[in-house]
Amino acid sequence: MIQYLVILLDDTSVSFCHYGNAKKERRLMPLETLKAGILFGMKENLNIQFVYPAYALPEAYDAVIEGIDHVKIMPAATPEGADVLVMNGWKECESWTAGAGVSCVLRLPKAEWFGQAGRVAALLEKTERLNVVLTDVETFTEDDFKAYERSLAEVANLLEKAYMNGKTPQLNLLTDRMMLEQMNNCGAGDTNITLAPDGKFYVCPAFYQAAGGYAIGSLAEGLEIKNAQLYRLDHAPLCRHCDAYQCRRCIWLNRKATLEVNTPGHEQCVAAHLERNASRQLLLAIRKHGTFLPDKREIREIDYLDPFDVRKEW
Amino acid sequence: MVKKKVGQVAVDEKNEIQALFERRNGLNELAKILTADNADLYEKWVKDMGETQSKFQGWWDRMAAKYQWESHEGGNWEINFDTCDIYLVLP
Amino acid sequence: MEKIKETGRGWQSGMAKNITFIVTKDCQLACKYCYLVGKNSKERMPWEVAKQAIDYILDHESEMREESVIWDFIGGEPFLEIDLIDRICDYLKTEMFRRNHHWFNSYRFSFSTNGINYHTDKVQRFIQKNHDHLSIGITIDGTERKHDLNRIYKGDGRGSYADVVRNIPLWLEQFPHGGTKVTISSEDLPYIKESVLHLYGLGIHEVNINCVFEDVWKPGDDALFEEQLMQLADAIIDGGYYRDYACSFFSEHLGKPLDCVTQNQNWCGAGKMLAVDAEGNFYPCTRFAQYSLREKKAWIIGNIRDGIDKNKLRPFLLLDRCTQSPQQCIDCEVAEGCAWCQGENYDAADTPTIYQRATAICRMHKARVRANNYYWNKLFRKLELEDAREACEENHPKPNPLNC
Repeated sequence: MIQYLVILLDDTSVSFCHYGNAKKERRLMPLETLKAGILFGMKENLNIQFVYPAYALPEAYDAVIEGIDHVKIMPAATPEGADVLVMNGWKECESWTAGAGVSCVLRLPKAEWFGQAGRVAALLEKTERLNVVLTDVETFTEDDFKAYERSLAEVANLLEKAYMNGKTPQLNLLTDRMMLEQMNNCGAGDTNITLAPDGKFYVCPAFYQAAGGYAIGSLAEGLEIKNAQLYRLDHAPLCRHCDAYQCRRCIWLNRKATLEVNTPGHEQCVAAHLERNASRQLLLAIRKHGTFLPDKREIREIDYLDPFDVRKEW
Repeated sequence: MVKKKVGQVAVDEKNEIQALFERRNGLNELAKILTADNADLYEKWVKDMGETQSKFQGWWDRMAAKYQWESHEGGNWEINFDTCDIYLVLP
Repeated sequence: MEKIKETGRGWQSGMAKNITFIVTKDCQLACKYCYLVGKNSKERMPWEVAKQAIDYILDHESEMREESVIWDFIGGEPFLEIDLIDRICDYLKTEMFRRNHHWFNSYRFSFSTNGINYHTDKVQRFIQKNHDHLSIGITIDGTERKHDLNRIYKGDGRGSYADVVRNIPLWLEQFPHGGTKVTISSEDLPYIKESVLHLYGLGIHEVNINCVFEDVWKPGDDALFEEQLMQLADAIIDGGYYRDYACSFFSEHLGKPLDCVTQNQNWCGAGKMLAVDAEGNFYPCTRFAQYSLREKKAWIIGNIRDGIDKNKLRPFLLLDRCTQSPQQCIDCEVAEGCAWCQGENYDAADTPTIYQRATAICRMHKARVRANNYYWNKLFRKLELEDAREACEENHPKPNPLNC
């Protein structure tokens, strides 16, 4: 069931996920489209998330936006009022100070993450929640997997120390899985949809801002998600049996890698399982120091990294 | 022609002779295109054909000894790969 | 004292890797029901592409562990490229042997031909050279009027029956167990019974026949189909054909409900197969090449230069029956034996997915189930009265269940 509506205020609205925004020309959502989008969200009882570009909006827009309860996702260049702040690379993190209750998304390529992952410690001092998004996970090689595993172990050590000091930082890659007992994926096309400046709905921002996407209806003609079942977990033959609960299960990456929205590629699966296994180690390590998340089950040990390799053969 | 079922072999045993049968067929058809100027391949073929024939005969000898099938002067045995059945065929 | 007789028409069924060379997109015919929408006389596979494809496949033995291989040649009409095919087969034999590849112990060369060139010297020389490893099916649709209804020459539109039927005796002499594949479209329905009996009369003991998966069916077609199949059932039983002849319309494994846990396997083998075209592109099956698709883009899984992108195969290898089926199929009381073609599913789907099962044959399947029930009830009663049921069940020929 759709619960969230993401509204891209401009073609250049910041990417807060795996995809890169290919659109470089500003194209502000017409005010009437914005109003109609908000109205749609209200009638459908959807939580609205506005995604901002890196420039100030006209005042008239602010007035309309403030007319509805919402979340603001904003780029680091214009952070004023953000609920979620998006930073691209370590460089954008240097001058940043978070306001209370602001979550942070750090987007960066693997080359910036490997060997520098420990830098998240400083960020976790400044925010209660940090989402790290690797923007080229689909290019991971076997060597990259090893480097990723090392980086996660390094960060897990930092988190263990933080927890021992009474802090409770949240880092999506390592702490989400400790808390989850069922899949908690991105939900594109299932629990959330996106409205773009062209007045059309999309599965997620990537299906508008990156190449090769498609619309799933429009404000004018209504929402029409063809083969809607394929965005649901129960129609994802690999994921529905998987316990890497923190995995984004990125629909856009799925389609890019395998041509199907319900099937993840090898790289996304392995990366998610490396995170899962590192979360397991972190949970075990923290519990050695005392009771921790007593109502949560232990994450069991597994002997595979890609569930495709142990799929049920028909 | 008279054909009579005289026994049966195990599936593993059938698989063994079927693989040899297939290999011998493959070698026979390969022989039609092998040329003398490809000496290495020709020598490999000669060696392989000899070994395959030997294994082939060895299988029938072993199975005949193991199962003690009925035999007849001038007759021969046949195997049906689908059923693993052995038949005695008399001209 | 030993001799080997090889039997079993379904050679290594389910254990073989099927690798298809799309050697040409040309054909002498322009069959009305042909799903190949992009046929042309320009796209012929160059030898260099074929060789590179073979080298790639044999180089990757560890990734293709199936015990056996079927090297399949398709067109268009494959025998238009007999010189190329001959060269490919020679290279395959030599290379499988030279590399000690496990497939040298278990391979076939397979052809589905329109039969027009079957008698030519080149084709016959090829057959003599490779006979023990050949599986050749000639497509003949039945009686002359049924065959010529669809299987017509391109250009002048005349029927091809006469040019095909003259080669049937030679083919059956060389391949006595040869089966034919018959395709049924809406216009063919009145001729089913006479056509199957005609093919039996020609000496063809195995008739693999199926309705097209495309959405061509009109109201009333199911009733006509059922009537034809019942007449055919009467003829097969009353004429005693069931003892030595097979027709794939009638199957003991048809028309029961299926369980989504224990009977959840995919029908189609797309993705476990591999096809390569003249450009050197790889596909999960020929039906995913552009010349087979009306509405969708080709589903390319790699090429001979860069290899196979395994991610593009994952959706195929994860397919199960229920995930791709609409609720009406999951709940269907007669689901067993209802077939689908993954390529047609993809082509007909509302979005570019292989996970939306096309249901155009639903009414035809249900009609087939009713006629099939009639067939077995009548046959078993007859056999029981003759005290011959057990013997018949053991010995009667069974058709090849794979109708693709």
